[in-house]
Amino acid sequence: MSSGKKMWSARVGGALLSAALLATTAACGGGSGDSADGKVKLRFSYWGSDSRQKLTEQVIKKFEEKNPTIDVEGEFSDWSSYYESLSTKVAGGDAPDVMTIEIKGLREYAGRGILADLAGKVATSDLDAKVLGTGALDGKQYAVPSGANAFALVANTAAVEKAGQKAPDDATWTWDDYLGLAAKITEGSGGKVYGTQYTFNSAYLTIFAAQRGEKFFDGNKIGVTPETLKAWWGNFQKLIQTKGSPDAAKSAEVDANSPDQSLLGTGTAAFGMWWSNQLGTLSKASGQELTLYRLPKAKGATTSGMFLQPAMYYTTSAKTEHAAEAAKFIDFLVNDPDAGAILLSDRGLPVNSKVLEAVKSKLPPADVKTLEFMDKIRPELVDAVVPPKGASGVEDILKRYSEEVLFGRMTPDDAAQKFLTEANAAIAG
Amino acid sequence: MADTVAVERRAKASGPVTGGSRTTERKRREARAAYLFLAPWFVGLFVITIGPILASLYLSFTDYSLLEEAKWVGFDNYVKMFTEDPRFVSSLKVTTIYVVVSVPLQLAFALALALVLDRGLRGLPIYRSIFYLPSLLGGSVAIAILWRKVFGAEGLVNAVLGVFGIQGPGWVSDPDYALGTLILLHVWTFGAPMIIFLAGLRQIPSSYYEAASVDGAGRLRQFRSITLPLLTPIIFFNLVLEVIKSFQSFTQSFIVSNGSGGPADSTLFYTLYLYLKGFKNYDMGYAAAMAWVLLLIIAGLTGVNFLASKYWVFYGDSK
Repeated sequence: MSSGKKMWSARVGGALLSAALLATTAACGGGSGDSADGKVKLRFSYWGSDSRQKLTEQVIKKFEEKNPTIDVEGEFSDWSSYYESLSTKVAGGDAPDVMTIEIKGLREYAGRGILADLAGKVATSDLDAKVLGTGALDGKQYAVPSGANAFALVANTAAVEKAGQKAPDDATWTWDDYLGLAAKITEGSGGKVYGTQYTFNSAYLTIFAAQRGEKFFDGNKIGVTPETLKAWWGNFQKLIQTKGSPDAAKSAEVDANSPDQSLLGTGTAAFGMWWSNQLGTLSKASGQELTLYRLPKAKGATTSGMFLQPAMYYTTSAKTEHAAEAAKFIDFLVNDPDAGAILLSDRGLPVNSKVLEAVKSKLPPADVKTLEFMDKIRPELVDAVVPPKGASGVEDILKRYSEEVLFGRMTPDDAAQKFLTEANAAIAG
Repeated sequence: MADTVAVERRAKASGPVTGGSRTTERKRREARAAYLFLAPWFVGLFVITIGPILASLYLSFTDYSLLEEAKWVGFDNYVKMFTEDPRFVSSLKVTTIYVVVSVPLQLAFALALALVLDRGLRGLPIYRSIFYLPSLLGGSVAIAILWRKVFGAEGLVNAVLGVFGIQGPGWVSDPDYALGTLILLHVWTFGAPMIIFLAGLRQIPSSYYEAASVDGAGRLRQFRSITLPLLTPIIFFNLVLEVIKSFQSFTQSFIVSNGSGGPADSTLFYTLYLYLKGFKNYDMGYAAAMAWVLLLIIAGLTGVNFLASKYWVFYGDSK
């Protein structure tokens, strides 16, 4: 090696090193702010599918047209890794200015001082008061809902009739009617179509418990009694025994699938419980006309227990340097008919009555149906409950003990006690 | 590490034989260049390896939700783990079963195939590649998803069993079978140890076999008295590697169980539980403590492996 060559290598080494250092500093400094062209830069995080990303890019473009001094940058990930990346960003002091979260994360974030109070900063007079109310905690409006969904029974009435059964009257039907009908459908179809696909979604238990006068989350405690849990699991056990549903193993398998791979989506069940915004996907996948029904009621129940759940919330970071611009962006998303015309029901059916009126004619048929259903049940609805901190873990705990019971690895008594202990511990802190 | 050694060695080798101060000056310059070239690697080592490792050690003694400042809690996380967390114990149990069953099976399988391939088959490279393929793919998300389909209640496996009139269970959705299916998936990735075994077999001088057969030793005797003892260092190497690797398994369980470790916690691997604790329950301090316990477990096991190796591993050169 000659010394000339070595000089060269040292120089290249130095250059590489300083390039690497530069890159690092540049990456570290990326969080704070404004574009070179004097525009205010806003970061907006959300989750979802590719189609949502496309719609969101469109709506951002529209906003930037109307507000040429603001540059919005979308930060997008799929649902399963969304909270991971968001909480990592927050932990690193790099929280996006506008963050989308859902109801189970609200207390987690608001309670830890991460979110700013939006009261008076975003106009909310046209929003559904009940749904908006769920975004307020301790007198502060931390979150503005994007839209709302109801947890409902989705039915393939053609399949019900094909099995020689009559479609139910959902205003009066009871859990026993539902379980009996499911068994008869499986039988009537010769086992080709199941009555229903069951789900451990906590919304189902929430409604079931409300009909028995109990709250799933009662403040910082689980409000359901062991008796209610056992009765709830009884529904599943009965479905498995009467073959109204597939057995526990097969059910666990379909439960893991996306809506279009569900029994209802593949035309192999007549019923299923879903959030109402999934009606479109389910209809498209099954190629059948699907109908929304109320969930059945307990005998003698005075309430339907059903509620409107905010699909998502828009929130702003308490640490944002651009609070006014962030609020303006949220205001645009929920109040501007131009935004509504692009997003339609992508983030739940709009809860802004004026926006809804303006975009009604553009909604696809499934959404129109959902809208009619919601209007029908509106008088019967109860308030949605904002779950306490730690609630995102409770869903998993519920699923796990439900599986223990249905696979016969634990008695319902034992599982109910253990569920309550573990779930209460998860939300106590 | 290997990089450092190589560079230093090269620096030494290229140093000229003559001259006093000129040489040291030159040496120093060379060393400087070497360190400059190594700098990116050093930055990586400190910033993205050692830094986070130390940070996680600190966090393991705190109550840290990711969203709030960490609070010092001493040994609380460690105590909780062993006294009041049944899921921790059950995840340890699941992982131990997984390791204890799948590693020996996998190594036995790999060795058996290596022996067959070592017979000098025609088209050996092709077979070798085919058998190696699962090792490349086995830990991937795509294969785990495929596995879920193939072993589904109405998947390929049950369809084939159905032809023979057997009603198969839900291989991944029934808690009695799910872990077994994951073990099978692990055994199936026998390619990497197989390749190493093959290389080891090639190292055994054929004169030993010739001598043995002259003495009238049969195939089995040759295998027991020549192949196996001479292969023990390779078996040991594979064993250590696979035990470490399978203790850290994550993807299979994460994908096959949809991130839950279900059904009913039957596939809740240690690392999956760690992940759920950290990112789902916002209990990062506890997750960090779990990571350190895992490190200690693996270090302990590897240590035991090394100690035990004195009694069964045969190195040809040391008596």
